Amino acid sequence: MFNFLKDKLKDAVDKVGEKIKKEEEPIEDTPIVKEKVKEKKEEVKKEFEKEKLHEEIEDKGFLKQIKEKVTTKKISEEKFEDLFQDLELALLENNVAVEVIDKIKSDLKNDLVDNPLSRKNIEEQIKTSLNKSISSLFGNFPDILDKINKKPFVICFVGINGSGKTTNLAKVTNYLQKNKKSCVLAAADTFRAASIEQLQIHADKLDVKLIKHTYGSDPAAVAFDAIKYAKANDIDVVLIDTSGRLHSNENLMAELKKITRVADPDLTIFVGEAITGNDAVEQAKTFNEQIGLDGIILSKQDIDEKGGAAISISYITKLPILFIGVGQELDDLEQFNKDKILQQLGLE
Amino acid sequence: MVLENLSTKLKDSLKKITSALFVDKRLIEDLVKDLQRSLLAADVDVQLVFDLTNKIKERALEEKPPKTISQKEFLIKIVYEELVDLLGKEKSEIKIERKKPFKIMMVGLFGSGKTTHISKLAKYYSKRNFKIATVGLDVHRPAAPEQLLQLSKQINIPCFINTEEKDPIKIYKQFEEEYNNYDILIVDTAGRDALSDDLIQEIKTLKSTIQPDESILVISADIGQAAKAQAEAFQKSCNVSSIIVSKMDGTAKAGGALTAAASTGAKVKFLGVGEKPDDLESYIPERFVSRLLGMGDLETLLEKAKEAISEEDAKDLGKKFLKGEFNLIDLYEQMEAMKKMGPISKVMEMIPGMSQMKLPKDALQVQEDKLKKWRIAMDSMSKKELEAPDEVLDGERIARISKGSGLNSGEIRDLLKQYKTVKKMMKMMKGGSPDKLMKKLKLPGM
Repeated sequence: MFNFLKDKLKDAVDKVGEKIKKEEEPIEDTPIVKEKVKEKKEEVKKEFEKEKLHEEIEDKGFLKQIKEKVTTKKISEEKFEDLFQDLELALLENNVAVEVIDKIKSDLKNDLVDNPLSRKNIEEQIKTSLNKSISSLFGNFPDILDKINKKPFVICFVGINGSGKTTNLAKVTNYLQKNKKSCVLAAADTFRAASIEQLQIHADKLDVKLIKHTYGSDPAAVAFDAIKYAKANDIDVVLIDTSGRLHSNENLMAELKKITRVADPDLTIFVGEAITGNDAVEQAKTFNEQIGLDGIILSKQDIDEKGGAAISISYITKLPILFIGVGQELDDLEQFNKDKILQQLGLE
Repeated sequence: MVLENLSTKLKDSLKKITSALFVDKRLIEDLVKDLQRSLLAADVDVQLVFDLTNKIKERALEEKPPKTISQKEFLIKIVYEELVDLLGKEKSEIKIERKKPFKIMMVGLFGSGKTTHISKLAKYYSKRNFKIATVGLDVHRPAAPEQLLQLSKQINIPCFINTEEKDPIKIYKQFEEEYNNYDILIVDTAGRDALSDDLIQEIKTLKSTIQPDESILVISADIGQAAKAQAEAFQKSCNVSSIIVSKMDGTAKAGGALTAAASTGAKVKFLGVGEKPDDLESYIPERFVSRLLGMGDLETLLEKAKEAISEEDAKDLGKKFLKGEFNLIDLYEQMEAMKKMGPISKVMEMIPGMSQMKLPKDALQVQEDKLKKWRIAMDSMSKKELEAPDEVLDGERIARISKGSGLNSGEIRDLLKQYKTVKKMMKMMKGGSPDKLMKKLKLPGM
C-alpha cells in the first residue's frame, strides 16, 4: 500500500545522505588539525573561540571537544533548507499536505540543525529523526471494541459528500456483529436521494434494524428515535449515518451540531478519503473544531498507495485512525497499524 | 469562499511584483518559489508545477516586453498566460449533435458525484430545450438506481432503471427501443478505481455496447496527487472526452482535478458548485484564472443573470427604470432574481474589484439574512402597499405588517429605506441605456 512512498522516501534519504557526504569532503584535512592541536593547544583554543563554540568548551572536557570537532559535522540552517528539498518533494508527490510537511520539516530541523552529527551514519540519523517525526503524527490506535463502555454506545459517522460514510458504517456494523455486539442503524441522512434505500439494503444484508423517517425530516429526530429503540430493546451499539456535507457550508454544519447535541454520541467518526490532497487538512480541522471528532476512518485506501492523507489527517486532528477502508465489500475493513505503516515507509 | 486561500496567495505574489521597484532575477526567483508553493498546496501535480514555473522563469528572463507595457505588467501577463495554459487554455463546450439520441456516459471514482451531476447536466440541457432521459447502470452500489430515479423525478425527466437485474449490459439493452425518443441520453455507471482491472474491464464492455458520443469523467475537487494517474487510466479505458470537477464549493483548490485534464487531453467543461440541480457552472479557463488572480469574472455573472432573468422581464424592468417607475414589486422581483443567481458571497466574487475587497464573511451572511426578512415583510403587504409604498405606508400599516410578518417595525423601515435608496439610484441612472443587464444587478443593500 505504501510502497510508492517508501521508495520515494528511501531515494530522498539516500540523496540527502549523499549530499552531506559530498559537502564533507573539503574538511578531509582533519588529521592535520589534529596534529596542530597536539602541538599548539592554546592556538586551537582560540580558533574554537572564533567558531563560537564557547559553551561547549566550558561544558566538556578539552579532549572530547577535539574528538567531536573531527568526527562530527553540523548542518547549518541554510544547508538544511537545501538538504530538505528532496525530501519535501518526495512527501509532496505522496500527497502529504503542505502544512504537514512544514511540521515535519521543523521537527527535523530541531533534531538536526546545529546538533553535532556523527559522520559515519548520517543517513541513519536522518532516518531515525524522520521516523520520530512521522510516528509522532499518529496517536494511539485502540480497537473500537475496547471503547464500547456503555449501553447503548452511540457512534456517529460524519464527512464530506461521497467520502464513504454509509459504506463504512455498514462495514463497522459487520465488524461489531462479528464480535457479538447487537446493533441498530439510524438513517439520519434525510437529504440525499436514495440514501435511506441504500442503508436499508445494507441493513437487510446485515440483518439489523434500521430506524428511518421520510426524506426532508429532521435528522436529529431519527437519531433520537434510534437511541430510544436501542434502550427499549437492550441493543449494544447505535450507528448513525449522516448526510455528507462540505465543511464550508455553515448551515449544514449547524445542522450537524444539532444532531450531535441531540444524540450526544460516544464516538464521532470522521470518514475521510485516502485520495484527498491538501484539502484533507481543512476538512478534518473544520469538522473537528465544529463538532469534535473522536476517530478517523480512512476510506478508499485501496485506490491509492500514497500514504499522504493518513499522515495529514492524523497530524491535524491528533486523532487515531480506527480503520482503513480497502474495498467495496463488507469485509474490506482493516485495522490501522502504525508500525506496519512505518515499516512500509522503510523507517523501521 | 471558493478558492479563497489559493487566490489570496497568488494575489500576494502578484502584489510583490507590483510593489517591487524593478524586475530583476531575484524578484523572478521569489515569484517562482511563491507560485510553486501555492500550486503545490492546491494539489497540482508536482511535475506540472515545475514545468510551469520553469517556463515562467524562462520567459520572464528572455522575452522582452512590448514597448507599450512595463516590465512588471509583462511579468503578470506571463503568469496569467501560463496559468491559463495550465488550466486548459480556452473554453470548450460539449457539442450536442442532433441525432437521436446523443449519448453521454458518466464515469468516475467512487463518491465523486456522478449521479448528482447527471441531474445537473439533465437540468442544464433541458433548460436549453433538449429532450433528456437518464439510464441507471450502477449495479454495484446499493440503491444507486433509486438515487438516479429520485433525482430525475425532481427535475421531471424520465429515468430507465431495473433494480432486479445485476448485468448493466442487459439493463441497457432492455430499454434500447425507448432511447430514440430523446435528444440526449445520459448514462450513469458504477464508481470505480481506474487502476482496478476487473472494474475497468466492465467499463470497457459497457463502452463498446453503449458507444457513447461523449464520455465524461467526474472528478472531485479535493483529490490530491492521485488525480493524474486516475485521469490517465480513465482516459485509456474509456477515452474520456470531457471532465466535470465536482465539489468546487468547498475549500479544495482543485489544482489536481483541473490539471489532470492537461495530462489526458480532455477538457474540463463544467464545475459543480453545490448540491442542487442548478449548481453547475461552465468552466472557462481565462475567467477562472482571472478570478484566481482577483480580476473578477463578469462574464459568468452575466451568464447567471441571463438564466435568472428572462430577456423580456429585463426589458420591462428597463422601461420602468427609464420612466422612474419603481415600486416594491420590482424590488421583490429583483431580489428573487438575485436569489436564483446564488448566495451573495458567490455573486460578489465574480464582480471585478469586489473580490479584492476583503468583505467579511459575516457581513455577507447578515446581508443574506436581511434579504430573507425583507421578502417575508413584502409577503405580508397588500397589493396597494407594494405598488405605491410612498403614498400609503404609514405607522399604522407598518405596525400591521410587522405583526403579520413577525418582524419588528425597525426591520420594515429598514426595507423601506433600502427601497428608497434603490429608487434614487434608478433615477440617477435614467440617462444610461436601460437594457444593460448590469443595472438590474445593482445589489440591494450594497
